[in-house]
Amino acid sequence: MDNFKKKFIEEAAELIDKLEVALLELEKKPNDEALIQQVFRVMHTLKGNSAMFGFELIDSFTHNLKSIYDKIRNGQLEVSKDILNITFSSVDHLKAMLDEQNYDDPDFKTIHSGLMGKINKIINPDIVEKESNNTEKAQDMSGSFSTFYILFEPNEKIFSNGTNPLYLLDELCSLGEHKVYAHFNRLPGIKDINPNLCYTYWEVLLVTDKDVNAIHDVFIFVETDSKLEIQKLAEENLLADKEFVDEVSHLADIQKDVGLVTIQRLAAKSVARINKAKAREFTKERIATKDKTAASIRVSSDKLDHLMNLVSELVTTQARLSLFAEQNNVPGLAPIVENVHKLTRQLRDIAFSIVLIPIENLFGRFQRLIRDLSAELHKEVDFIIEGADTELDKTIIENLSDPLMHIIRNSMDHGIEESRIRIANGKPAKGKIHLKAFYSGANVIIQVSDDGAGIDPEIIHAKAISKGLVPSDKKMSKKEILDLIFLPGFSTAKKVTDVSGRGVGMDVVKKKISDIRGEVEVESEVGLGTTITIKLPLTLSIIDGLLVSIDSSPFVIPLSSIDKIYAVDKESIYNTFNNLVTLDGTQIPFFSLRKEFNLQPSNEELEQVVVVNFEDNRVGLVVDYVIGEYQAVLKPLGKHYKSHDIFSGATILGDGTVALVMDTNKIIKMFATSK
Amino acid sequence: METENKNQIKSYLTFKLGNEEFAAHVSKVLNILEMTPITKVPKAPDYLKGVINLRGAVLPVIDTRIKFGMPEAEYTNNTCIIVLDIDVDGESVHVGAIVDSVQAVLEIDNSQIMPLPTLGSRYKSEFIIGMAKVEERFIIILNMDAIFSVDEITSIVDSNQTVAEGSETQQ
Repeated sequence: MDNFKKKFIEEAAELIDKLEVALLELEKKPNDEALIQQVFRVMHTLKGNSAMFGFELIDSFTHNLKSIYDKIRNGQLEVSKDILNITFSSVDHLKAMLDEQNYDDPDFKTIHSGLMGKINKIINPDIVEKESNNTEKAQDMSGSFSTFYILFEPNEKIFSNGTNPLYLLDELCSLGEHKVYAHFNRLPGIKDINPNLCYTYWEVLLVTDKDVNAIHDVFIFVETDSKLEIQKLAEENLLADKEFVDEVSHLADIQKDVGLVTIQRLAAKSVARINKAKAREFTKERIATKDKTAASIRVSSDKLDHLMNLVSELVTTQARLSLFAEQNNVPGLAPIVENVHKLTRQLRDIAFSIVLIPIENLFGRFQRLIRDLSAELHKEVDFIIEGADTELDKTIIENLSDPLMHIIRNSMDHGIEESRIRIANGKPAKGKIHLKAFYSGANVIIQVSDDGAGIDPEIIHAKAISKGLVPSDKKMSKKEILDLIFLPGFSTAKKVTDVSGRGVGMDVVKKKISDIRGEVEVESEVGLGTTITIKLPLTLSIIDGLLVSIDSSPFVIPLSSIDKIYAVDKESIYNTFNNLVTLDGTQIPFFSLRKEFNLQPSNEELEQVVVVNFEDNRVGLVVDYVIGEYQAVLKPLGKHYKSHDIFSGATILGDGTVALVMDTNKIIKMFATSK
Repeated sequence: METENKNQIKSYLTFKLGNEEFAAHVSKVLNILEMTPITKVPKAPDYLKGVINLRGAVLPVIDTRIKFGMPEAEYTNNTCIIVLDIDVDGESVHVGAIVDSVQAVLEIDNSQIMPLPTLGSRYKSEFIIGMAKVEERFIIILNMDAIFSVDEITSIVDSNQTVAEGSETQQ
């Protein structure tokens, strides 16, 4: 049973997330019926599930919450800010409800009864009515609508007695939901037109709760000399059936008129459809979830990790097999090896794509954050999300949540100004925060930009000096100054607010991002806004690298950091005193990896310099020779090398030897500081 | 669970470093490998010999001799890597230990294990579980978790008790 409960909680948490997303959408488009339906459906499923697994509290709570949306669905209530706010708090409360341990908490109880009271008040504003009656009544009401077909062919001479048929149609349309098809096919050629005659006739589909007499009343004065056909098509609202409307519209377009017979036939079909849909209504949610389970299944991440490990191992083994086949000319082996190679590659690609998940879920969470913050800080903000379908390794996404949340908080709190100040500065009153994700090579870039006040480099500089983080006489570029915000112990907020400035500074953001092998950069213009750019690797477990050899040991340098490779003769490297080498006319500082790794100098006359990007400069790393490109399955070096972070891991080559993967940034930093 | 195992299984793997014989509880030993080429990790401490490929995983290898404050020795045909499953703060970590030669698996009853004499021992007492006398030989039973744990970078040799310690602390 516990197992089932766990499943339920997992699923419920997902449903609640879904609910939250739908509610946020609904807030933007309060009249979108599809969204109201969606909210209702999710609540319905949640209620059903919780009842099934014995979460009675959730069951009864959701039941009441659902009633609100049932009323909205039936047009008895309008989506209002009030209702949404209560629903949002309810969603938070539902999250708390998933943990049964909370149930005894007095705070929880107060929230619960408070929300229940508010919800009941919405459902029964005046008198306490049996709410099941209410819903029944609502259904009765929607059931009393009928669909009529009206063919109105006015007498040609209708204009002569001063009647405008359009007024009649207007009156007709005021009776309810309608669809009017005007037919012009009797219109003669332009020469033959007599402007005093009416050539047009109309077909109308009308959904109304009035009876047939009310329709006749509209045409009471023209009925005698015009052709009028009024026919009740069904006791349903056929115009709600999109398929029906489409079919009729299509026919009206291609034919001169649709005709009662055809309409009746279509109507019968539509009624059948609606009845079927009605019959399905209760099982519909079930089916929906079933469809979902067929499309995707829940797999524990442990299993995925295991799969990834096995695939990595397979890739390595396959590389060995290829090498073996190359070295031993066994007839018939080559095609098999080639096949294995192909299959492994496909398997690897699929396995890697499994652990990539869209960043959507993460971004969705921030929408809620922005909503809450803008209420709390009284700042109006447009939050724009772009590229939510960008996919990233799940471990990266998990680790991205906190830093991004912090950045967005900062933008809201320090970046966006209050509307009054914004207007004074000639900006639109509503601020804008743009969250964007996109691919760039083997990286994913995530950008948070706002059109707020921006960061003043002078203030930052002054502050860094006063805190003793930089010497006062040091000249710094604007970028260097902006980068100071990533230093530990730096917090620019003049006053600590509840929102940001909780002791987690940008230094923590930077650390968390670099933990997942990412980089973070800040750009800002005073008065125009700030952009924070996070650059992340697509996945943590495989990298494109350059295989190089140093003292006959293989090493991998990540391709992403490499700028260019040069061959340089030995003289120019060992006979310098300032460690600068001239390449393509520019002087580039370099480090000989042999020397830095405490190895003997090589005997080769030519050495190769791999120029890598380090911060904003280019730095050369001297290696013996470059072997070639290599796709490295990154393996951790283990806890014993934890403090030894100049290597981000190791990879196993085709012949089974281990090659270390360099973290060029850290290596260069270490070399530079050891000087 | 660990202690339960230890109480139930009385088997110990013995190995030699120089002339001294040591023992590790079999529950700690995963595997014994022949010596294979080791990929050196530049700039790492001396006793961390490097890493090897253990069936697709990267295994750090420690030279037990250096760790035990002995001079390094040439690898011979008998040199082995014992793959250990070390418990570091409740997490299982695999590590390879280079030893001169693996001897045997012995049954040693708990009653045979004697505490180490407090004086005159070369090793810090927290690394030693005890001593056992088997067929007129003395075997030092080691606490592998303590010796090969991550933070224990220092030598296990008691610095008060001399020996060639300078070689590994200089780097």
